[in-house]
Amino acid sequence: MDEKRGRFEAQVLPHLDAAYRFARWLSRSPGDADDVVQEAILRAFRGFDALRGSDVKAWLLAIVRNCHSTAKKQQQRRAFVPLPEEHDAQDGYAMIATTPDPESVSIIRDQKRTLDRLLSELPEEHREVLVLREIEDMDYREIAAITNVPIGTVMSRLARARAALKARWLKDVEGEAREMR
Amino acid sequence: MKCAESLRTQAYFDGEVDAMSAAEIERHAEHCPECSALLQDLQQTRTAIRRDLAHDRAPSELRARITRALDQETAVKSERRSFGWGQSTWRTRAFWVGAFGGIGSAAVAATVAFLLLSPSLDNSMLDGLAAAHVRSLMPSHLIDVASTDQHTVKPWFAGHADVSPVVADFAQAGYRLIGGRADYLERQRSAVVVYQHGAHVINVFSWAAQRTLPKNTTRNGYRMAFWKDRDLEYCAVSDTGWAELMGLVRLLQELGARDAQE
Repeated sequence: MDEKRGRFEAQVLPHLDAAYRFARWLSRSPGDADDVVQEAILRAFRGFDALRGSDVKAWLLAIVRNCHSTAKKQQQRRAFVPLPEEHDAQDGYAMIATTPDPESVSIIRDQKRTLDRLLSELPEEHREVLVLREIEDMDYREIAAITNVPIGTVMSRLARARAALKARWLKDVEGEAREMR
Repeated sequence: MKCAESLRTQAYFDGEVDAMSAAEIERHAEHCPECSALLQDLQQTRTAIRRDLAHDRAPSELRARITRALDQETAVKSERRSFGWGQSTWRTRAFWVGAFGGIGSAAVAATVAFLLLSPSLDNSMLDGLAAAHVRSLMPSHLIDVASTDQHTVKPWFAGHADVSPVVADFAQAGYRLIGGRADYLERQRSAVVVYQHGAHVINVFSWAAQRTLPKNTTRNGYRMAFWKDRDLEYCAVSDTGWAELMGLVRLLQELGARDAQE
């Protein structure tokens, strides 16, 4: 095996799951996430020689983020009109909600789905800091590097993102409680 | 009213402050209901997210796509020969991979792949075998059919690979059969048998016999042992010692000999 390829597989590919998760949360579509991750890995491979230091995961996630924003711009340029932020998630919810059997009701209440939906409804700049902090366990400095903003901005965005998620969660629980009555 | 310390409290929660500030913030939170509630909220959110949302993994189809893309990239870069392994396309078929995501590096993998090779490709073949071995160790890449039963694994290959390798569970000898996998190489369907042996890893490759086998060798730190059995050639690849590797090789050879007599 090619020596560079070997090093790349040993150092970068262990973070493929993280790259995939991050891409999923950014694009909110598995198909788009696949394309973004593949592009990111190729770019990472091409740029691998220039990588200095050990922060491989943050470096890869930054590339994923760049690829995502490039893909998004291309989609928009193709006059593709995406649904408003909240829409797709709510449609999915509605589809489940129309099935009246008890099992579906318990699925709706399933915390994982709820959390999944609430997080995906957050604006992208909130979503990405939360995912990086809570799911990928990146510290402030790494998040700042990946999202290309100062650490102070990371802190305030994280605070707003967490507050927004909590507010949505409470609203959701209340809504459900009303339906139950 | 938002407490002026809330950002510092958050930073404390995220492990971003030094010990002195941490002590200060702890004292503050004892007297500030807002910040103590904030700490609880932060912990709740973190617990829920990490429990429910942190476990997605890259699908094996995507891993296979990426492997192919890297193969192409590498082939373009080094302008390798246009035949053989330079443009080889190992593709993992993902049938049952999810079931075994957790096996990871604690597994011994006996990998049996079927390769059509011309006799002059020793070096690139060794590289390819080592690469396939490394790839098989990546999470979610090890197994398509998860089974400790040779009667499940062997028929599965009949449907997913062109050749049928010897398969058996050698658990009593320390080589536990844990499943199989199908790969693609050069438009040829191929198969992979996976064993577990302690904390080490062994790969055994195999292909239709048609060439002179290389001598046993070490490549990129992996040991490789070759042998032939009727119409198939096998290669065991491992990061174990030679003794452990040859132990599995002997068992597979004996099994092949018994099969031949029947």
